[in-house]
Formats: sequence, structure tokens, C-alpha cells
Amino acid sequence: MRFLFLIHLQNARQSIKSNRLRSFLTMVGITIGVASITTIMALSAGANKIVSTQVDALGGNIAVVRPGAPTNDAFSQLAGDHQFAASTLTDIDVASIKDIEHVSAVAPLMVIGGAVSGNSDAPANTPIVATTPELQAVSNIQIADGQFLDPNLIASTAVIGPQLSVNLFGTEHSIGQTIRVKGEPFTIIGVMKRTNSPINYNNVDFDNAVLINLESGRALNQGSSHLQQINVQSDSVTHLTSVITTINKTLLRNHLNEVDFAVLSGTQVAQPTSRIFTAIAGVSVAIAAISLIVGGVGIMNIMLVSVAERTREIGIRKALGASNRDIVAQFLIESLVLSIGGGVAGYLLGYAVAFAISTFLTFDPILNWEVAGVAIGVSLIIGTLFGIYPAIRAARRDPISALRQYE
Amino acid sequence: MAKSASPPPVIELRDLHKRFGIGDAEHFAIDGIDLTIQKGEFIAIMGPSGCGKTTLLNVLGLLDNSIEGEYLLNGKPIASLSQRRKAKIRSEEIGFVFQSFNLISRLNVIDNVALPLIYKGMSKLKREKKASKILHDFHLGEREFYMPSQLSGGQMQRVAIARALVNEPSIILADEPTGNLDSHASHIIMEELSDLHQKGNTIIMVTHNPNLTTYASRVITMLDGKVDTDTFRLPLPARESTKKPLGNTTKKKLARKKKDTK
Ligand SMILES: Nc1ncnc2c1ncn2[C@@H]1O[C@H](COP(=O)(O)OP(=O)(O)O)[C@@H](O)[C@H]1O
Ligand SMILES: [Mg+2]
Repeated sequence: MRFLFLIHLQNARQSIKSNRLRSFLTMVGITIGVASITTIMALSAGANKIVSTQVDALGGNIAVVRPGAPTNDAFSQLAGDHQFAASTLTDIDVASIKDIEHVSAVAPLMVIGGAVSGNSDAPANTPIVATTPELQAVSNIQIADGQFLDPNLIASTAVIGPQLSVNLFGTEHSIGQTIRVKGEPFTIIGVMKRTNSPINYNNVDFDNAVLINLESGRALNQGSSHLQQINVQSDSVTHLTSVITTINKTLLRNHLNEVDFAVLSGTQVAQPTSRIFTAIAGVSVAIAAISLIVGGVGIMNIMLVSVAERTREIGIRKALGASNRDIVAQFLIESLVLSIGGGVAGYLLGYAVAFAISTFLTFDPILNWEVAGVAIGVSLIIGTLFGIYPAIRAARRDPISALRQYE
Repeated sequence: MAKSASPPPVIELRDLHKRFGIGDAEHFAIDGIDLTIQKGEFIAIMGPSGCGKTTLLNVLGLLDNSIEGEYLLNGKPIASLSQRRKAKIRSEEIGFVFQSFNLISRLNVIDNVALPLIYKGMSKLKREKKASKILHDFHLGEREFYMPSQLSGGQMQRVAIARALVNEPSIILADEPTGNLDSHASHIIMEELSDLHQKGNTIIMVTHNPNLTTYASRVITMLDGKVDTDTFRLPLPARESTKKPLGNTTKKKLARKKKDTK
């Protein structure tokens, strides 16, 4: 059996070599599919790593409440855009979390879309974040100039990111200037320190963001809250677990036993959902799925052609002692060689693309065995799934009529 | 039921029928054959084209799964054998030589010859050694790495015969093995078969050439899917001499034949 496998492998190599162009074209679909998967996984691992580093740096006593049911499926998280869905989190939830024992700070985050302008207009997708002063402590936000939000001052004050400051006023020193957020004037009372980390667990690029008080945020949003997440800090690491349990219970009660929220901590928080990332991920997943199916169908088509071309060969092999199983193995291994060949090429291409994309991002893709495993696994599955039918068809050929062909 | 002490016949056919087509097109390619073949027989089958010779060989070689009647191979009814078991028997006990060469054009000569050994699970090194040896015996040693398309018809058939013999089958089924060879090459092949016969192998050969039946121990003629005549022959008195190089008379005969065909 051991020898047979090697022989089928040699045989496949030979048959693929004798149809070089055809085989290459067949592999392209799988290559693109696996490349997309590799790219997205390598980048997502890279992004995850920065976020988990950030979360660790915060002291490990942070929990994050997000709207929507909890999910462990990385791809649906990558593909789904939580930011625009209607939030299930309410101000009542925020209030109840505040009352929980061992909770030291609660910072709700409300992200609003809209125009921001100063001396010049800010880019269209500038994040407008309405929150409370606790965010500074919870997310360790450093102020370069001025102070953080304070609802006790006049309501329409704002803290902005350094890059936004440069975009609006040509300088990082913009304290006292007035900006317009969705048409309303706000006075700048603080400019944040540059972080250079657009990927973080708040899903906000603080360098380009406007922070305003929650009250003002509601006013800009027809008086209602739309909470993207609630950051919760417990008074010590040891209390975090009990805090999370209590939050779950409390919110379940608030939400009439419907699990339409998720309480995350530690590495769970490290799910990159920044907008760029979500967009890349969505497109990649779609490309991957489509090209894998197209690639698989391509393999099936080529294998059916190959079986038809080699009908006589099948008859000869059977007459010389090949069992049905041998014939199935021969053709299945050939389709697996095609799909795994495409997969390996896709894995390499995927990393090349990931590194190319990362030059525009603030983090590097990560090389790990998981990605390689998925790339090979996906190729194996596609090769088997689309190769098994032609192989069985080959094995079912009646040797006598196979031998009579073209006689 | 008393069981006889002697081994069962290699092949036993009882009222064998093979039907092709359905409805109006239905006809019997084999129409009631009873045949017993003992181990070590060398049978030549003759008969007009379309009388069912190839079909009979396919049945004997376990390539045909839909037959009527009984076929006992080494005393066991083949109807009871699984597909896998039949493949194993084909691999280990039966050597096929086809009417046309049936070499795989993608594979070179030595790989073609080594093909049956693959399904015996032999290692590459052993396969190549064995294939190489038999090609040498067939005077094809220098052609090992040629592709089939680079060979003459006669050479291709010799490669095909080498392939059939490489796994040392006990039963050899040859369908007009010398149909594409000249007389000299035919005799080389026939002597190979004769050699195998003397080693105790069972050989069943279809031929159109009455001269070649001299090598056989039994000649069967077929007509319309039935056995027409079945003649046992005395062992060839000149059997020993056939091992020697061709004698003068044979050479003259061959030369005359060549002239005739021109
Ligand atoms: N696969 C097949 N389908 C239909 N008819 C067949 C098939 N194989 C053989 N036959 C028919 O069976 C008869 C015997 O064929 P065959 O055994 O090849 O004859 P021979 O080898 O004696 O020339 C012929 O009439 C042939 O047309
Ligand atoms: Mg025939």
C-alpha cells in the first residue's frame, strides 16, 4: 500500500507534467482562494496580537460588553460589521453595570457618523465618539495638550486626536479652537497623544477621532444612544471573573433573558473589527469562497476530461490487476496533487499579499502553523470533495468496453 | 460427494453464455460452452472473426462480470468472488496479452512492463530490476527508456508480451499475440510461451496462424460462440530442437514465406 501511494503520486506528477498548461490553469482558482484565506488569517493574527498586547498592557482587569450574540467563529466576526447594526445595549445597562460590586469604572462608547470640520474639512469617515470621562482610565488615553472630557464643564466640548488636529488646523496645538460636528460647534479642550494604533479593542482610531460627552452624542443622534461597546474595569484582576458573571446575569435580566449581547475579556476582546479590516476581511472571505468553488469545479472538470481521455488506460490497468480501489486512489491522488499544489502556491502568494498590504497598516502579518494548516486543510477538502466523483466514475468503468474503445 | 485427490482443473466452464445488447440487438457472443482445462495445458483457439474468441478470453480473465452459466477457477466458482478478490487474481495469476498492443502511451517501455508489479505492491527498485530483466530476455534491453510511439509495431507487441509475463502468471491469456509480428519474431515469442508452458504454466492463446498451433498441446476451434472441434495433440517431437537457433529448413521456409507475402 505504501508503495502504491508513491506510485500514484509519481503517476499524478507525470500526468500533470504532460498537461502543464491545463494543470496550471486548473490550480489558479485554488491558488486565489487559499491566498485570500492566508492573507486574511495572517493579517488578522497580526491585528489580534497587537490588540491582545494592548489588553495585557491595561492590566488584565478589563471586560468589554458588545451588542449581538457571542460568537466564536472568527470569520463571521471578521465579515460582520457590528458598527452599523442597531445596538442592543442601552443606557439602563450602563447604569446597572455601574452598580455592580467591584466595578471601578464603566465607559460606554457611542460611535456616530457625520461631517467634522475645522479650518478645513476632516475626512468623511472621521469617527465621532461619545463617551464618559472614565474612558481615559479604562483605555489609558494619554493627553498631549489640555485635558480629557469633563461633563461638569460646558456641554459642547471635545477632545480630538493629533492627526485630526493637523488635518483640521494644520497643527497639533488646537486647544480653544472651534470645530463643527454634524453642524454643531464644539470647543476643543484637549488633544490626545499620538498612538499610531488604529487597530485596538475600542475599534476607534483615536489619532483621527473626535471625543465628545455622551450627552452631546445623544443630542446629535436624535436623543438616543447607540452604544458600540461598554468598557468595564474591575477593581482588581482577581475580581474580573465574578464581575463578568454578574454583568451577564444583570444584562440577561435587563434584556428579558435574550442573549443579544456578549461580555468579553482577555483574548476575546482582541477581535480586530476596525473598519478597514472588516472591509478587507469581507472581500477576502467572499473571494476565497468563490474562487475555491470555481477552483474545485475546475478540478472536477479537468479530472472528468482526464478520465475520459484515459478510459483505455483504465481498462488496461484493470486487466493487469488494478482493483477499483486502486483506480479511485490513482485519480483522487491526481486531483489532490492539483488542489494541494494550488494551495501551496496560494499560501505563498497569500503571505506576499499580506506583507504588501501591511505596508499600509500599522502591524505585520504573523506567520504561524495555524495558517499553513488551514491552507493545506482547505486544499485537501476541495481536492477530495471535487475529485472523488471523477475518481469513482473512473473506477466504475467496465474494463471490456474500456479496452474496446478506439479499437 | 467424494472429493477426488487430484487437484481440480484450472478452468471449468459449464454451459457458459455471454449475451450482448438488449431487445432486438440481443445476441450471444458465447452460446453454450462446456470446457475443462487442466493445469499445464497449452491451448490454441482458432476460428473466424466474430466467433467469440476475445469474449471468451475476457471471461476467463475475470474481466467480464455478467456471464450466464458456471465458471470454476481452480475449483472455485467465480460468481462468489468479490471485485477485489478478482482484481487480486488478475494481478497474481493471470497475464494478458491483447489483440492490439495496449501499451500506455504516457509511460515509457520499462514503466509499461513494470505496471502489473505495481498492483502486487512491489517496491520501485525491485519493479525496475524485474522489468529490466525481462526486457533483456526479449532483446529490448536498449529500448527501456523509449516511449511506445518510438517503437515499431513488432517491438510494441513484444513489450506488451513482456508486460504480461513480468508477474510470472500461472495462466497466460494471449489474444493473437503474434498478429503483428513477422515470422522470425513470432517464433521467438512462441518459444517464450513454449518455455513457460514447460515450466508448468497454463497458456490459452487465440491465433489465426495454423502454423503456430504446433506449439500447442490442444487445439480448439470455435464457431458462432460454440466449440466446434477440440483436438488433443501429441507433444511436439521436435520440442527440444525448438530451443536451438532456427534450422536451415525453417530459415528457407521463412524466406519463402516472405517472398510470398510480397
Ligand atoms: N462489448 C461488446 N458489446 C457488444 N457486442 C460485442 C462486444 N464485444 C463483442 N461483441 C460481439 O460479440 C461477438 C464476438 O466478438 P469477439 O469475441 O470480439 O470475436 P473474436 O475475438 O472471435 O473476433 C461479435 O459479434 C462482437 O460484435
Ligand atoms: Mg478477437
